[in-house]
Amino acid sequence: MSAAPFTKLDAKGGGIHWRPILVTIFNHSILILFTLIIVYPVLWMILASFKSPGELISNIWGLPADPAYQNYADAWEKAKLGRALLNSGIVSIGAVLVVVCLSSIAGYAFAKFSFRFSTVILLVMVFTMQAPVPIIPFYVLFVRLKLTDSYLGLILAIASGTIPLAIFIFQAFFRSIPGELREAAKIDGCSEFSAFLRVVMPISGPAVATVSILTFVGAWNEYFMPLLLIRSDELRPLTLTIQVFFLQFGRAEWNVIFATLSIATIPIIVVYVFLQRWFIRGLTSGSIKG
Amino acid sequence: MPATSLSKNSQFSQMRRRFSKLAPYLWVLPALTVYGIFKLYPLVSGLQMSLLRWDGIEEPRYIGLRNFEKILSDPMTGTVLMNNVHYAVGTVVGKIVLSLFLAILLHQALKGRTFYRTSLFMPVVMSFVVVGVLWSWLFNPQFGLINSFLRGLGLEFLVQDWLGDAAVALNSLILVDIWKWYGFHMVIFLAGLQSIPDELYEAARIDGASVWQQFRHVTLPMLQPVMIVNVTISVMGAFNVFDIPFIMTAGGPANATNVMALHIYIRGFKFYRFGFSAALSYVLLVIVTLVAAIQLKLMTSGDNTD
Repeated sequence: MSAAPFTKLDAKGGGIHWRPILVTIFNHSILILFTLIIVYPVLWMILASFKSPGELISNIWGLPADPAYQNYADAWEKAKLGRALLNSGIVSIGAVLVVVCLSSIAGYAFAKFSFRFSTVILLVMVFTMQAPVPIIPFYVLFVRLKLTDSYLGLILAIASGTIPLAIFIFQAFFRSIPGELREAAKIDGCSEFSAFLRVVMPISGPAVATVSILTFVGAWNEYFMPLLLIRSDELRPLTLTIQVFFLQFGRAEWNVIFATLSIATIPIIVVYVFLQRWFIRGLTSGSIKG
Repeated sequence: MPATSLSKNSQFSQMRRRFSKLAPYLWVLPALTVYGIFKLYPLVSGLQMSLLRWDGIEEPRYIGLRNFEKILSDPMTGTVLMNNVHYAVGTVVGKIVLSLFLAILLHQALKGRTFYRTSLFMPVVMSFVVVGVLWSWLFNPQFGLINSFLRGLGLEFLVQDWLGDAAVALNSLILVDIWKWYGFHMVIFLAGLQSIPDELYEAARIDGASVWQQFRHVTLPMLQPVMIVNVTISVMGAFNVFDIPFIMTAGGPANATNVMALHIYIRGFKFYRFGFSAALSYVLLVIVTLVAAIQLKLMTSGDNTD
């Protein structure tokens, strides 16, 4: 299906097909080069997390001579990573729940009901979702609602940014579901809402997965909102914990920093590698249709 | 009540109809409430704050447009905005050229496509904090990977103080941003390439078009929608960038990497000039909106090929 450019080169190259082979070699070497540029620093980070401070300087490129597992224990203890992981987990899962529940219901209404102002509402969202929020009124609002320094506040702050895109994803998905399904459920005596819950949602796995991944990765990696809203050490999510730790100890204990970064990164990369198709679809949705 | 069962019935169905007219609003209400309170309300309520002199503690004082006057006369505004423009040009050109090039190669190289795609997309799932801290070390002038690599190749003249030299620091941050996102943009371009029907290339070839002409007259015009998406995302990202400069350079050295979002944050939360910071936010908002509008206009009107 994508052999088009080859055919062209075949025609020019004549009998022996050496040109397509050269082209293939060229393509792969460039791709490998740029893949290495991405993958190598991450691999290096993981290797460096097993080095001693001295080795970090004397042995920049090599494997760790004597793996310093102590780095991980130090990282876990000094940076209080257990607590940070828990906080990130609570906030990310909370954000997923809020976004999926609210946006699926709203998305269904936009897809299946016709009501006044529905287009206006969608347009307002399209034009404001990308707009950078002024942080002062945003912060003052959270202070007045007493939502600073709380899980709920952080969850709502993150969710409100994702809701429009999630609504668009759900809406597009629900439009593709045939109307007969909903009619049949209603004839069976279901109310509109229970038809949605019992018939539509169970077959909406793909949309739920897309929105969940999009929201989870965004929340897990969110740095600015906790920086703005979280004050107490016990509520710091992973991102903020790493940055604070980096400022405190970074200059002196890089090996421990790399252990911290690895703990933060390895789990999500492992999950990503197994579910890469879903991750890529989720994280590019909104940019690519379908 | 003397009402007959018939009129009762019609009353009931009238109520039902009225309710079913209202029902959709109930469905969208929860989502819109959250969006309205936490996104739209600050967008509006900040306007009033931008007219205040306020440190967040003492009684705010109304000062009219003085904050905006100060922003216009402050030389810092120009410095910071130019950094954003520089950042935007650097990241957009870098990301688009590189990701389009890689997408075209990947579109042809059938073997290992999933491997390449998965590897190149990986930094997207990583946090900017992790990426920023990691690259702070890679850029370390003495022991960092980059300078060590350059020395190893005998390219001593390229060795830099990547984050400490005011002339280089912003470009170093641009490199990190490109590194994090080129796989993402490549995936989007790849989806665009896969949607171009082969017949178009066949027709072009029959007309004797060279590879370059095919690219220029088939690939590029057909990629216009994904091109708009990619450029828009990169430009928006560049004008809103905060994490990378905040973590890696804190805006330094000597404001060489200070950008609007960082400037707003520092004025607000380091110097407690809430009114001034709010006013700056609206300057950024207007600029982002203008840039988006101009860019959309340029990119959609440039389409004269059929």
